[in-house]
Amino acid sequence: MSTLFSQLAIPASAGIGLRSPHISEMLTRRPSAGWLEVHAENYMGDGAGVEALERLRETYPLSVHGVGLSLGSAGGVDSDHLERLRRVCERFQPDLVSEHLAWSVADGAYLNDLLPLRYDEEALAIVARNVETVQDTLKRRVLIENLSAYLAFADSSMSEAEFLAELVARTGCGLLLDVNNVHVSAHNLEYDARAFIDALPEDAVGEIHLAGHATNQVGADTVLIDDHGSRVPPAVWALYEHAISRLGPRPTLIEWDTDVPVLDVLLGEAMWADMLTASIIFSRKQAARQAAAAKPRPVSPAPFENVKTSMPVLAAFAAAKAGPVMSAALTPMEGIYDVAA
Amino acid sequence: MLPLEHLQTTMARSVLAIEPMVSEKILTAGKADPLARLRIYQNNTRSSLTAVLMAVFPVTVRLVDERFFRYVASEFIRRHPPVESRLARYGAGFPRFLKTIDTLSDLPIVAETARLEWAIAEALDTASLPPRSLAEYDNTDFGLSPNILLQPSLRLIVSHWSILSVWMAHQQETAVDENVTWIRRPERVALWRSGNYVRLFLLDRASFAFWHSLKHGLGIEHATGRALALDPAFDLVSALVRLFRDRLVTDVRVASNSPSN
Repeated sequence: MSTLFSQLAIPASAGIGLRSPHISEMLTRRPSAGWLEVHAENYMGDGAGVEALERLRETYPLSVHGVGLSLGSAGGVDSDHLERLRRVCERFQPDLVSEHLAWSVADGAYLNDLLPLRYDEEALAIVARNVETVQDTLKRRVLIENLSAYLAFADSSMSEAEFLAELVARTGCGLLLDVNNVHVSAHNLEYDARAFIDALPEDAVGEIHLAGHATNQVGADTVLIDDHGSRVPPAVWALYEHAISRLGPRPTLIEWDTDVPVLDVLLGEAMWADMLTASIIFSRKQAARQAAAAKPRPVSPAPFENVKTSMPVLAAFAAAKAGPVMSAALTPMEGIYDVAA
Repeated sequence: MLPLEHLQTTMARSVLAIEPMVSEKILTAGKADPLARLRIYQNNTRSSLTAVLMAVFPVTVRLVDERFFRYVASEFIRRHPPVESRLARYGAGFPRFLKTIDTLSDLPIVAETARLEWAIAEALDTASLPPRSLAEYDNTDFGLSPNILLQPSLRLIVSHWSILSVWMAHQQETAVDENVTWIRRPERVALWRSGNYVRLFLLDRASFAFWHSLKHGLGIEHATGRALALDPAFDLVSALVRLFRDRLVTDVRVASNSPSN
């Protein structure tokens, strides 16, 4: 049965990926986080996590991120799985829905990993058809995420960025720019990460992902592994700065999937993303003012002149210094969340 | 150039190590060896799915040692990869697979304990409906044999081995004396989700039959008959009070017809 949630639009600020070790604390503390993102596949059953998310959804804007639809499968998307995704969207009424430019199902097996496509016309037609099927079923625009990759196909006829741009043109889908994925793939496949970002249609980018990665040395090969198991590293922050400078503020997610730390670490990373965005926008405005002062004649506004940056994390940080705040209307969760009980 | 579907099938079989690696001619990875890079996908698939199984079967892992579990898990993944992306459903066939492992032929309790752990995993992913109380039915006439509906997460398992004792002993971090807990003794286990937890109980034969009949919608008359056949001292009133007390009853309905068996 679906519940009617109030409209909570996702702000152009930082949110966090909701992970099971944090659910109990999220329910009791209700910390200020711009928004939450969940993996769709974790909420297709009827466990305690689903009940908890229904309660959290009353407070936080929500993004549903699919990891198992396999949009790149030549065999098409699994209609049963798509129906489950539709029910998740009906149940939680997310503000954003996203999936990956990848395939994970072939020969009747689900590989639990996101594999790259051969970027050519055949694959483009298949992915466009699959994306249209998803958008028609969900009756909404979905965001498609770029992939972290360790190899590519020799017969690809276009780059991943060109493929994504054409996919947007054909289907009207949006893009989820995973900055960590760009950094990982650019290193592993030896291309220019900034040029990748610059090649994307900027109006289509509706969300950004940030995460950490691991560095593995295999003989002479230094390969970056997209494990989402550490803080966002400086190189990814630098690429994020480049992306925000070009795109303006975007809803930005801190992802952390392995060796998940305490909740405050994720909130701290989200706060840092907000501060970095605010700093970029401030610098832009200052530069625009200085330019206007130097040339006293009418000028068109700077690209981000009219953008209002929502920064709930920063506001909460200030409030937290003044003392903890808890809404009396919120019901604390009893006991602890323990799926391995 | 391979059609995409053929290419993906070939790649999937390489990733699952069912077939030899694909030709490196079709792959690129900058200056790196593309086949070494393909092995990253092999490792990712094997290690992430092994982690899923280890999370579902933690006591089984302790029973057989983690290294051996990882070996068995990788064989299971290779032969029986997931058929869908809901990983909460992956592992249903693992207890049966354990029974086919020669090394474990003298340790049937391992597969039996895994069966219990899979039932726990299923219960955790199943709805917990609002329970009904006895008082709600004070003035209700249900006829001779009402149907009692129980929590959908209720799982009933009977084993020739002391699976619940083994499972309970392994909930502590301390070392477990397997000679004490690995006993060939029938145990009938009832388990269901209660909020964030799963409750587990041992049942006697009559109660097990009673609960089993109710779970399968056979009605209270049939359930009581089966329980009394196993234990003439079976106390229906106590059994019903317990079901309500344990918050297992989700509805009571007038039976549309009597069961034929």
